[in-house]
Amino acid sequence: MKAGKFWAWVVFILGAAYFFIPLIATVEFSLRMRRGVYSFDAYKVVLGDSQFQTTFMYSVIVAIFTILLGVLIVVPTAYWIRLRLPQLRPVVEFITLLPLVIPAIVIVFGYIRMYGSNSPLPFLSNNVATNALLVIGYAALALPYMYRAVDTGLRTIDVRTLTEAAQILGAGWGTVVARVILPNVLIAVLSGAFLTFAIVIGEFTMASLLNRPAFGPYLQNLVANRAYEPAALSIIAFIITWGCMSLIQVLSRFAPKSANRPN
Amino acid sequence: MADPFLSIQHVRKSFGATTVVQDFNLDVEPGEFVSFLGPSGCGKTTVLRMVAGFEEPSAGKIVVGGKDITRLKPNQRNVGMVFQAYALFPNLTVAQNIAFGLKVGGMAKADADRRVAEMLDMIKLPQMADRYPYQLSGGQQQRIALARAIAPKPKLLLLDEPLSALDAKVRVSLREEIRSIQKKLGITTIFVTHDQEEALSISDRIAVMYGGKAEQVGTPFEIYNRPATKFVANFVGTLNVLEGKVTDASTGKVQVDTQEVSLKGKLNGSKSGDTLSLALRPEAISLARQPGHDTSLSGEIAEVHFLGSVIRVRVGIGGNTVSLDTFNNSTTPPPVVGDKADISFSSGDMLVLH
Repeated sequence: MKAGKFWAWVVFILGAAYFFIPLIATVEFSLRMRRGVYSFDAYKVVLGDSQFQTTFMYSVIVAIFTILLGVLIVVPTAYWIRLRLPQLRPVVEFITLLPLVIPAIVIVFGYIRMYGSNSPLPFLSNNVATNALLVIGYAALALPYMYRAVDTGLRTIDVRTLTEAAQILGAGWGTVVARVILPNVLIAVLSGAFLTFAIVIGEFTMASLLNRPAFGPYLQNLVANRAYEPAALSIIAFIITWGCMSLIQVLSRFAPKSANRPN
Repeated sequence: MADPFLSIQHVRKSFGATTVVQDFNLDVEPGEFVSFLGPSGCGKTTVLRMVAGFEEPSAGKIVVGGKDITRLKPNQRNVGMVFQAYALFPNLTVAQNIAFGLKVGGMAKADADRRVAEMLDMIKLPQMADRYPYQLSGGQQQRIALARAIAPKPKLLLLDEPLSALDAKVRVSLREEIRSIQKKLGITTIFVTHDQEEALSISDRIAVMYGGKAEQVGTPFEIYNRPATKFVANFVGTLNVLEGKVTDASTGKVQVDTQEVSLKGKLNGSKSGDTLSLALRPEAISLARQPGHDTSLSGEIAEVHFLGSVIRVRVGIGGNTVSLDTFNNSTTPPPVVGDKADISFSSGDMLVLH
């Protein structure tokens, strides 16, 4: 075996160990709830807990609305910047990166000051309005990931020529975006959607301070008070994450292909 | 003469301080095939894009079928366009691509399906309906793009260098196909190209453009044989340009190097002592004196290139070099570099460039 190949294997094994050992340890620990034998008791407790179901469903619904809002804001914006205002790209990229440096707690305190029950716009005293504010806040948090994913997708197609080809055939802006641009960046949008989903499912700060029955606060509560269940929950979350990624891979098989990137 | 179908009147286009099209005028008859020919950056695509509605003229007017369309949006103009990069929608099949304009226009599905089948037959690709663009060759993609542009029955067809991305053989067959479809449908067409052979072979008329202006508009025969300016003469076809000095304007005597030629009636007001550029097409020149040729010049063979069926010979005449082609003859050896040679031509074939 050549020296280069040997070291490549060493690096690969170290990397795999770094990734798999904590995972195996967590799985092993999650199965030790019953004294002396391995069992799925921790998983049964977690999945059977009505609070798990309600908080998880709440977060899934919020995630879906956040994805819809993100797509509605980001796709037309990224498209327009690429088509007509390329000189504004650095500015928009900077704005979309802001949520990475401004902590979520700043947005929540902003919300409480702006929309608290004593303010002129007391949205936080209403459940529906609070949920809407949470979705808007999450859309802002997911902006860096969604924008980058969509912008990368737009880079792979000739936005200007496709737009002009559709326009000269009689299409208006709505048709161009819905029937030409969006279907051709669908995989990029799905990647952004997945990242948004991952952020929303585990988010704690905003949901907790706005007192929403979300999965993040439930997770935190469980970690603080139980031993084996959090490990089981981590594995469940891991499976959901990999499930989502596999789904993207499956969907990408049906994605439009261009002459430049067949298959 | 019938009213023009497309009339481009005093159109100017500036991007900031740069004017890319200046005072462009052109009338196109119904069913006519007009090519915009010129080098990169001459403004030909900008004029086409203004007709399509993708650029708004800084000044001037564009009229189609008697209606001023200068300020109309591209989707309101009923114009078809084929792009250099095909621009087929990658997410749609061939049939869906062709049907796109029909569906946007609100055509019923059964009618649209019938029209798509008709278009696929027209471009001889009926078996490709369910393929995706990435499964087609460049030539097939461009034929689909042509069918897509024609399907909604546009008033005007714009072709923006549609053959540039294709290989030489496909270019020739596709340009003939485009011309035959255009003639069959009688659709008024503007074709942008930088390839003179393409423009000469398929156009009813050519507008040769340079520096944002139309240098000359005419039939391919006129453009080639009677170029109006030095640029047109140089850009279209191969041209030999000889520098000459008028020695006697009254008799039309012009001195080329140390030899004299007679150009009576062609000097257009030039005075004795003026310097002129004289142009000759290679096919008008013969090596050695030929019957019917009234003018000859002596020189020396400078280069000989054997190209198979033809031999390209370059003859030095003082400071000028003249290029000409002779047919290969298996019984006669090609000329030898350094030999003395006479070239002859008819003075009527010599153009005085301004």
